[in-house]
Amino acid sequence: MALTQDIIDLLGAGVSHQVGGCTKDGRPSICRGLAAQVEPDGRLVVILSAESAFEVIDAVRDTGRIALNLTLPENYKSISLLGRDAVVSHGGGAYRELVLDRYHKFRAQLEVHGIPPSYTEAWYLRPDEDLMAIRFTPFSARNQTPGPDAGSALALKTQ
Amino acid sequence: MNRRMSDNLTLFGVRRMMEGVIPPTMCTASPDRMPNVSYLSLAEYVDPLHIALSYQFFNRSRENVLATRRAALTLDDPYTGAGVVLQIEYLRTETQGPVFERLRAKLMGVASHAGMDEVFHLRGADIYRVVELRRVPGRLELPAAEPRVDLATNSRLLSERMANCGEMSELLDTLLDGLGELLRIDNAMLWLFDSAQQALTLLASRGYEIGGTGAEISTGEGIVGTAVREGVPIRVGHMMNMARYARAARDRADALGYEPTHRSEIPLPGLKEPRSQLAVPLRARGRVLGALLVESKNDQHFGYDDEDSLMLLCGQFAVAMSFMQPAEPEPPREPAKPAEQSPSDATDTSKALGPAVQLRRYARDNSVFLDDVYLIRGVAGAILWKLIGEYLRCGRREFSNRELRLAPDLRLPDVQDNLEVRLLLLQRRLAEQKAPIQLEKAGRGRLRLNVSRPVVLQAES
Repeated sequence: MALTQDIIDLLGAGVSHQVGGCTKDGRPSICRGLAAQVEPDGRLVVILSAESAFEVIDAVRDTGRIALNLTLPENYKSISLLGRDAVVSHGGGAYRELVLDRYHKFRAQLEVHGIPPSYTEAWYLRPDEDLMAIRFTPFSARNQTPGPDAGSALALKTQ
Repeated sequence: MNRRMSDNLTLFGVRRMMEGVIPPTMCTASPDRMPNVSYLSLAEYVDPLHIALSYQFFNRSRENVLATRRAALTLDDPYTGAGVVLQIEYLRTETQGPVFERLRAKLMGVASHAGMDEVFHLRGADIYRVVELRRVPGRLELPAAEPRVDLATNSRLLSERMANCGEMSELLDTLLDGLGELLRIDNAMLWLFDSAQQALTLLASRGYEIGGTGAEISTGEGIVGTAVREGVPIRVGHMMNMARYARAARDRADALGYEPTHRSEIPLPGLKEPRSQLAVPLRARGRVLGALLVESKNDQHFGYDDEDSLMLLCGQFAVAMSFMQPAEPEPPREPAKPAEQSPSDATDTSKALGPAVQLRRYARDNSVFLDDVYLIRGVAGAILWKLIGEYLRCGRREFSNRELRLAPDLRLPDVQDNLEVRLLLLQRRLAEQKAPIQLEKAGRGRLRLNVSRPVVLQAES
């Protein structure tokens, strides 16, 4: 399945990234992601800090299952993308530009809410060697905008 | 070292993270291990081992939790950018009681700000046991914000000032002035609970364009009404809309069958767009006597420490209020005919000049109007009606608290422990209104009526 243009646009709009995983023995985990984009092969890549996100990374390695939540602070529009073929690899400096782009856009979103840049820096300023990449093919998208239909399915395109 | 160990964190130590402008995020998983991430409206500290999460919708997260009873929760510090992750185990859902009411009141605040009151309905407070708590590593944390004041020291100072107060009026002013001077809380209202009317009456306020003494809201409405009904403090750190809360709080009067003309028409004070509010009940002798509401234009102005501090100060205030009766004057050596009356009192009705004012009372709720202006109701209204009646009948201007307390025609069983504060409410309402009828203290346990215009009584059924 492939992402719709709406979702692709959302990826670059200044969203927050929350990443969830679950181990084989049923332990859920959650962390902040730093950036996400669609790769040339159509898969989605999400970048995380190895140090901050160690538990989710371990869980994804364990089961290959992942949930990526994207939320735009300006209107609380929120979606989740699910994958069950997730693969973890080192990201490194190749994703520095992407992380900076997402950081600047997200920072601008939060400044509207009165949150200073120094606050978001606490999450984003990670060295290249700490950047990890998780690639997966979304098989399901869910609306997570707060409300009665949070969790309902969103359409994806067939590739 | 196992990075999943707790870093010596305690739930108590990170509870302020539950109140940041960045909402908590939860990850659940289905029985087949597919994770699901969702934001929560509210998380609430319950005790050192438990938290409560708002349950509003039956969605994927809810389905997962009921199936597995497990979840991971992440919180961000609103000041430093630090983060924690909790492993939590679902225990039960509460649909009533203090925790539920606190969550509901907070949610109402969030919802009314967003214009989504109907959608943001709290179905329950999900209670979770915290199994594990750890810090998110690798964040460049900012220094914590400087405290607004030294809360412990300054609260103690204010407590000492209150302990030296000998009368109700002094006690009230000491508390409200001290909040601004010592705790940098510049906007405050003190509400009294009237159990007979199931309503709250504003006794005094600070920091607003209007005083609003005598204004009313219903018990259970808004965060202050809920704090009184449940006897617990309620704090909302951001995006609060008190005006909507308070002005929507007249439904109870309708339920009790009051006519519209009987309603309090006293404008409510309040910030136009408060960003933080904290309501603290006045509890003493196992009862809730009222509540203090403080608010601010700043987000996150009040923390847990403010809540603790104000709980102690309000407890002291409530106990003092409930016991504070002025020393009764010596009983007359010979049985008095009209008790405790000076000779000059009898002629004072002649001093009232100008056109007459009409004092109208509705017996059903003792609401009293001066001409067409609503003055007060309930206990305070009954007292005013009695005083003016005595004044017109025999010219009396001075009265003792004792005779009011014992007056059979007042039939005020609930007033035994707070007559003084009801008199203060009446006195301040008349003063704020600049009414031609004023009340002042006339020595120990006595009060004096000053009437500057002729008064005509009209009793309504």
